[in-house]
Amino acid sequence: MKYIDILERQLGRKATKAEIEAFTVMWSEHCGYSHTKGYIRQLPRVGFGGNAGIVSLDDYHFIAFKVESHNHPSAIEPFNGAATGVGGIIRDILAMGARPTAILDSLHMDKITEGIIDGISDYGNSIGVPTVGGELRISDYYKYNPLVNVMAVGVGRNEHLIPSTAQKPGQVIVIFGGATGRDGIHGASFASEDLTGEKATKLSIQVGDPFAEKMLIEAFLEMVEEGLVEGAQDLGAGGVLSATSELVAKANLGAIVHLDRMPLREPDMNPVEILISESQERMAVVTSAEKANRVIEIARRHLLFADIVVEVTETGRYVAKYNDETVIDVPAKLLEESPEERTYGYRPVEMPKFNWIKFKNVDAHEIFERYDYMVGTDTVVRPGYGPAVMRVKSSGGYSLVIHSRADLGLQEPYWAAYITLLECVRKTLSIGARPLAVTDGINYADPDVQPEGLAAQMKGLKDACEFANVPVASGNASLYNTYKGNGIPPTLVIGMIGKLENLNVPRPRKSAIYAIGFKDFKLEREKLLWNEIERIAKAGYFVVSMHDFSTMSTLKQELQKTGLDMKVKSPKCEPVHQLIMVFGDVDTKLPKELIGYCN
Amino acid sequence: MTASFPKAQVVVYPGSNCDRDALWALRYVGFDAEFVDIRSHIGSDVNLLVLPGGFSYGDYLRVGAVAAREPISSEIRDFMSRGGLIIGICNGFQILIEMGILPGALLQNSTGKFICKIVDLEVVDNETPFTRYFERGERIRLPIAHGFGRYVKTNGLVNSQDNVVFRYAQDVNGSDELIAGISNENKNVLGLMPHPERAIEKLIGSDDGLRVFLSAFNYIKTSSENMLEKTKVGVA
Amino acid sequence: MQKYRFVVDVQYKSNVRDPRGEMIKRILNDEYDIPVTSLRLGKSIHLEIEAENEEDAMKLINKACEKLLVNTVTETYEVRRI
Repeated sequence: MKYIDILERQLGRKATKAEIEAFTVMWSEHCGYSHTKGYIRQLPRVGFGGNAGIVSLDDYHFIAFKVESHNHPSAIEPFNGAATGVGGIIRDILAMGARPTAILDSLHMDKITEGIIDGISDYGNSIGVPTVGGELRISDYYKYNPLVNVMAVGVGRNEHLIPSTAQKPGQVIVIFGGATGRDGIHGASFASEDLTGEKATKLSIQVGDPFAEKMLIEAFLEMVEEGLVEGAQDLGAGGVLSATSELVAKANLGAIVHLDRMPLREPDMNPVEILISESQERMAVVTSAEKANRVIEIARRHLLFADIVVEVTETGRYVAKYNDETVIDVPAKLLEESPEERTYGYRPVEMPKFNWIKFKNVDAHEIFERYDYMVGTDTVVRPGYGPAVMRVKSSGGYSLVIHSRADLGLQEPYWAAYITLLECVRKTLSIGARPLAVTDGINYADPDVQPEGLAAQMKGLKDACEFANVPVASGNASLYNTYKGNGIPPTLVIGMIGKLENLNVPRPRKSAIYAIGFKDFKLEREKLLWNEIERIAKAGYFVVSMHDFSTMSTLKQELQKTGLDMKVKSPKCEPVHQLIMVFGDVDTKLPKELIGYCN
Repeated sequence: MTASFPKAQVVVYPGSNCDRDALWALRYVGFDAEFVDIRSHIGSDVNLLVLPGGFSYGDYLRVGAVAAREPISSEIRDFMSRGGLIIGICNGFQILIEMGILPGALLQNSTGKFICKIVDLEVVDNETPFTRYFERGERIRLPIAHGFGRYVKTNGLVNSQDNVVFRYAQDVNGSDELIAGISNENKNVLGLMPHPERAIEKLIGSDDGLRVFLSAFNYIKTSSENMLEKTKVGVA
Repeated sequence: MQKYRFVVDVQYKSNVRDPRGEMIKRILNDEYDIPVTSLRLGKSIHLEIEAENEEDAMKLINKACEKLLVNTVTETYEVRRI
C-alpha cells in the first residue's frame, strides 16, 4: 500500500488487514486528492466543500453543479463505465438538496465509442434528466485512456440546501437505495492506477440501475421537502466508508457503523467488502433519531432498501462493526487526511506560438439526438448551438458550457488552461449570460513522472480565474490516465455556469454573417472583446464563439433543422485567437469581415 | 350548482419522468390538476387522466408491461368505461397498449436508437375531444423522445381510417403507415408517442401541443355545461 | 456444405450485476406471490450457418460471439445445436 509508512506512523503500530484495505481506498488519489489538494486550495473559490459546488441563482434558488470523471471504468467497460459515471455525479448534485436539471458531457476518445454514448444516453434518459450539451473530441491520444467527464447541474430552493456533514452526536445516518454487492471493490484505488495488467480486468464491473436512481431521486427530494434531511452524502468511490467517515469527520465527530444492517445482494460478503463496496444508487442521510423511521418509510415506499446504519458519536473515532465484531476503529479524521503530495510552483512564461493540432471533426448532431434534451420542459437553447440555456419556471435562467483544449494542453499546459477558461467566458457572454462560477475536471497522466505539467495547468486555471474574476465552485481530478507508461495530453475540462436576467436569448436568423475580432491573441485585448460580445448579444444578435471555425458541421446541421441554411467561408485563425461570428451587420469598433450568409 | 374547472389527474408510476411536465401543461390551460400515485385512487370528479411519458419500472421487462398490471389499472378501465378522457403520452401510450385499451404494439425504433427531435405531424382526425382545435390535415410540430416508438398494427384490430389521430409527415421510427397517435373506438382515449406537453410554449420550441390540452379542456367544460342545461330543463 | 442451426444463450457473468433481473424477480415475489429465487435476464440468438461440418460451424459461431454478439467483459454464453 502506498503511504503505508505514513499510516503506521500515525497509528503508532502496524496496520491491520482491514485498515490497509480501508486506507488504500480512502487515501487513493480518487478519494484523497493527494496530488491536487494543494493546488485546489490555491484556487479562488466559492460555495466549495460540499458534495457539489453551490452558487446563488437568485434570492430563492441556488444552483448545485460539478463535473466528475469516470475514465478508468469506461476504458474497461464503456457502457457501464459511462452510465455509472452519470449516476454518481447526479447523486452528488442531489445530495445538496437540488433536483438535477441538466447533464453535459466532455468525451475524449480515439473513435466514437457507441458504448460510452449509449451508456450516458440510456442512464440520463431513464432518470429523466436532459442532456443539453457536450463536446466530443476524437484523437488517437485517447486510444487506451478515454475520458468521460460528466457535468451535472441542479436547482434547489435556498431553504432546502443540505450540508454535507453531520452536526451533533446523537444523530443517526440512514443509508438507503439499492442493495449492496461486490461492485467496484477497489474501484477508487483502481481509478488511481495505470491501466495495463490484469488488475484492470479482474475488477468487478459496476453496473448501473437507472430505475433505482430515479426512485432514489424522488425519495430523497421528498425527504428534503419534509425537512427530514439534516446532512447528506452520496455513496460513490469508497462506498459506505468514504461517505460516512466524511460526514462525521467534517464536524469533528465520530461514528459507530453497523455493517450487518446493510442489505446485501450477495449473501456471503465479508465485513470489509461491505464497508468499501461501491455498489451504485445509494445515499447516506443524516437525521435525528426521531425522524429516522419516516426517512426509512419514504425510501421503502419508493421500492428502495433502507436502514439506520450509523450512530453519530462525540468520540471522533470511526468504528465499523459487524454484529459484535469490530472491523476497524480509527480516528475519523485520519481517514480524511490523506497524505498531501507537495505542490510545485510554476512561473508562467510568455505564451508560445501554438500549432494547430486538429482533433478529428465529428458531426455531433446525430449524437445529440440520442439524448433526451427536452425532458423537464426547461431547455431553452438546445445542444449544438453553443452554450445551453435552461430556465427555472418560477424564475430566470442560466447558461451551461463545457469546454476543453487538449490540443493546447499537449503543447503548453499553463496557457492551455488559461485559454480554456477565457473561451468559456466568451461562450457564456455570447448567449447573453454573466459568468457565475466554474467546475474544473482535471484529467492528467502521471503526476509523479511529470509534476510540472500539473503545476502549470493548475496555475493557469488559477491565474485565468483571477483575471476573469470567476471563482471555482467544485471540481474533480482524474490522474494516472496512462497505458504502458504513455499518458494522455493534459486535458482540463471546464464547466461554466452563467446567469441570465431574462430568457430573450439571441436566436440565429437570416442575415449576413460577420467575423468580428482578431485572428490571433493578445491578452490585453481580451476584456475589450468581452465587452463587445456582451454588447452585441444584448442587442439581440446571435453570436458564435468557437475555438475552431474550420469545423462547423454540427452548427450547420442544427441550423438546418430550423430551416436555416448557413454558408460561410471559415476564417483562418491561429489556434488561439479572439474572433467571434455574428449573425447580422452590427456596429463594432473591432475589425469586422463579411464571411457568409444565413438564408 | 355551479360548474367547476375541469379536473385532471396525472398517474405517476415508479419511473415516470414526464409527470411534472404534464402537470405543468394541464395547469397552463386551466385544469385543476394533481398527481395520483399508483396506490391511490382516481377521484370520482376527475374528467381527464394523463398517463405520462418516462421509463416506468425502467422499461426493464417490456416497455409499459409492469405498469400496465398495477392495481390502479382496474380503476383506469372503469374510468374509461364511464366515458372519462385519457391521454397516454409515450410511455403512457405503451402502457395503454399493454393494458389492451388500445390496439397494436410499440416496438423498438427501426434505427435501433433512441431519438429526440421535433418532428412534423399531420392531424388526421380532428373530431376527437383532443383535436377539435386543429384542422383536418393540419401540419403541426411536436417533439418525440423515445427508443420504442415503432407502431405496429396487429391483425386488423386497427381500422386505420377510424382510429388514426396523428401521422408522422416522414418516417422517423419505422411505424406502420407512419402512425404516431391513435384513439379507441369511442374516441375518449388518445395514445400518442409525441409529447404535446413539451410543446405548449414557443420558448421551448413549439406550442402546437397547447391545443391538445385546450381541446380537452373546452370539450369537458362544454359537456358539463350541456349537462347542467339538461338537468335544468329536466327540473323545469 | 450444410446448414447448421444454433441457439446462443447470452447471460451476464455471475459477478456482474443484473438490475433488470433483480427488479423483475422482486415484482414476481412481492406482487404476484410467485416465489422465484433467482431470475437473470439475458438474450437468446438463433443462428443458421453454413459449414463443412459441425466442428467448423461451432468454430464460426464462437468467432461470431467473441467478435460481436457477446460483450466478453460482462457476458458469458452457451451455444446449443438445434
